[in-house]
Amino acid sequence: MSRHSFIVHGKLALPYQYFAGSLGSKFIRALRDEKRIFGTKCSKCNTVYVPPRSLCDRCFLDIRDNIQDVSNEGTVITYTVVNHYEDHYPCKPPFILGLIKLDGATTPMVHIIKDVPIDKMRSNVRVRAVFSKYPQNTILNISHFEPIDYSVFERGYTYEELEIGMSASFTKTITETDVYLFAGISGDFNPMHVNEEYAKHAIFGKRVAHGAVPQSLIAPVLGTKLPGLGTVAIEINTRFKRPTYFGDTITAIATVKEKIEDKKWVKMDLRFINQRGEIIAKGEAVVMPPKG
Amino acid sequence: MRKRQREVAIVGVGQTKYSSHREDVNQPEMITEAIVEALNQTGLTMDHIDCVVHGNMELFEMIHQPDLWHTIGTGAMGKECLRLTTGGTTGATLVCAADALVASGMHDIVMAIGFEKLQEGHTTGGITNMADPLWGRKLQSGALVGITATQMIEEFGEQRAKKASIDYRIIMDMHAMKNEKAHRRLGLKFDMAEDLMNNSPRLVGELRMIHMCSQSDGACVVILASEDKAKEICDRPAWIVDHVTVHREEHMGTLFGLKKGKLTHRHAAEVLFKRNNIKDPVAEFDVFEMYDPSSWWGLDWLREFLLFDGDEHLRLVEDREIYMDGKFPVNPSGGVIASNPIGATAMVRFAEAGLQIMGKAGEHQIKKEVNWALASGFGGTFWTVLGILSSEKPKR
Repeated sequence: MSRHSFIVHGKLALPYQYFAGSLGSKFIRALRDEKRIFGTKCSKCNTVYVPPRSLCDRCFLDIRDNIQDVSNEGTVITYTVVNHYEDHYPCKPPFILGLIKLDGATTPMVHIIKDVPIDKMRSNVRVRAVFSKYPQNTILNISHFEPIDYSVFERGYTYEELEIGMSASFTKTITETDVYLFAGISGDFNPMHVNEEYAKHAIFGKRVAHGAVPQSLIAPVLGTKLPGLGTVAIEINTRFKRPTYFGDTITAIATVKEKIEDKKWVKMDLRFINQRGEIIAKGEAVVMPPKG
Repeated sequence: MRKRQREVAIVGVGQTKYSSHREDVNQPEMITEAIVEALNQTGLTMDHIDCVVHGNMELFEMIHQPDLWHTIGTGAMGKECLRLTTGGTTGATLVCAADALVASGMHDIVMAIGFEKLQEGHTTGGITNMADPLWGRKLQSGALVGITATQMIEEFGEQRAKKASIDYRIIMDMHAMKNEKAHRRLGLKFDMAEDLMNNSPRLVGELRMIHMCSQSDGACVVILASEDKAKEICDRPAWIVDHVTVHREEHMGTLFGLKKGKLTHRHAAEVLFKRNNIKDPVAEFDVFEMYDPSSWWGLDWLREFLLFDGDEHLRLVEDREIYMDGKFPVNPSGGVIASNPIGATAMVRFAEAGLQIMGKAGEHQIKKEVNWALASGFGGTFWTVLGILSSEKPKR
């Protein structure tokens, strides 16, 4: 059918202006000249609107004169990541758009959040306004928001974020040095660990590592990977199956096995495997993951 | 013909000052001004308003769904809210819709809001956009239509037509000078006529700058109430008697005069007058608030609305009978030529007609008692809304 019907192609480019009004202009000027953010407060319902409005639409009250300064710092209520490109965007995707509730405000405002690794972004992060170097005369007088404390992005998984089946591991080759250092740390100079001639006639035929040496490899897994930073170990049980000889490469693996709802703790299944694929130990740990 | 559950009246009117720029307020803030004036006039609060009907020209400010984000200025949160947009007739359509919502028994008190901030958008672009994209869009000059002048000059002679048109313009300005809400108040006098009609910059043909309406920013609010509430709210409400809407697409041939068809204005008047047994509109109506986008159209459309065939419309102007204290007062507000916030403009016609009946028009109040008023809206390629207001509650 389309072969027989004309299609009229057109392009509309209609210019327009938008008048910010007296109150809106005052807000923009305060951002630009004083790096100050203010809202307007309804005397009836105590809502502090940021950016300011002249009318409380719930109470239908003129509030334009009831100006209230709010903090330049606030909390990200929620956020999204913009991945596609549009001409009007102020920065190149991907970037984070957050709903930021400034301290002292009732309503959150939308703005860009920068200097955060996108895959590490999360809600409830504390941020502060970074003001634009040059006047923009729009809300972009605030260039963006940046995190106040970067360490929050290194926090491990919370109880809510952890799912059964998630797993992580750490691998290390156990050397003679490790064993002798551990003997010094623990005072355990048992000849089966430190006397080769003695060990030749003992059960394993040569020197072996202390059991706690491979076992300890689970600590970097639980403490820095899964759940990760902020985790507190409650209980670790290990059953040893095979010896670890000097030069063996051991992988410690932790897998989320069970979520203990009433305590908000997590039970982890532990496995320790050598370079030959043999299980040298198995176990179970109970940990308290970090809070959001 | 009247299928009403109950009668409806305009009980309150609020208007902003109309002007070329309202940079001191944003859109919802501007609307609030008109709402507050209407509420103050009626003694009502937003709690009394059951429903808000909102409208303006579609995308004229490049804002999609303004009714929804204007809630921060309209007080409509939690109320039934309707958006209507019918081009230049929008304001009149809003009144008709509010009337229907009350007459049907759906709501007791309805607030109709019309607004426009023409300075924020691109009026001619928007109007051009309404034309048929295949036939009309690239060939039209938006709202600047010069053919009516050409036709009137051909029919009545250059001097008489041009003089009547500029006289109409001067009378409108004299009215606007009495209306503090009007946008353009130029202080024109009859002795300026020759100079204006020959030296004002030409826009299209004999349509000159001085003949053409303004582009205004402003908002108008009309509150309509059911018959049992109306008397409590207002001593002398303006009762809605009847209205008729005629919308149709006119293509270039008829619009620009290759063959002049019957205008929607004349059709609307014929239907409305027959339905309400009006034999002599000039004698029966005490005021006519007409949507007159230019003084050529204002002059020509008097003929259409009043169902004249000869030169009676010219004589009404030449004899100064359209002056606010003349035999047939037209636009004591100054009309559209003085103030044109498009989405509000057609509502202003009904609002001003209502104010004349209520006796609340202030300095531009007609001296004799106004009991029976006519109001029109115009839009699109040729669209009409025509309505009658009365000081007396209509009998069912």
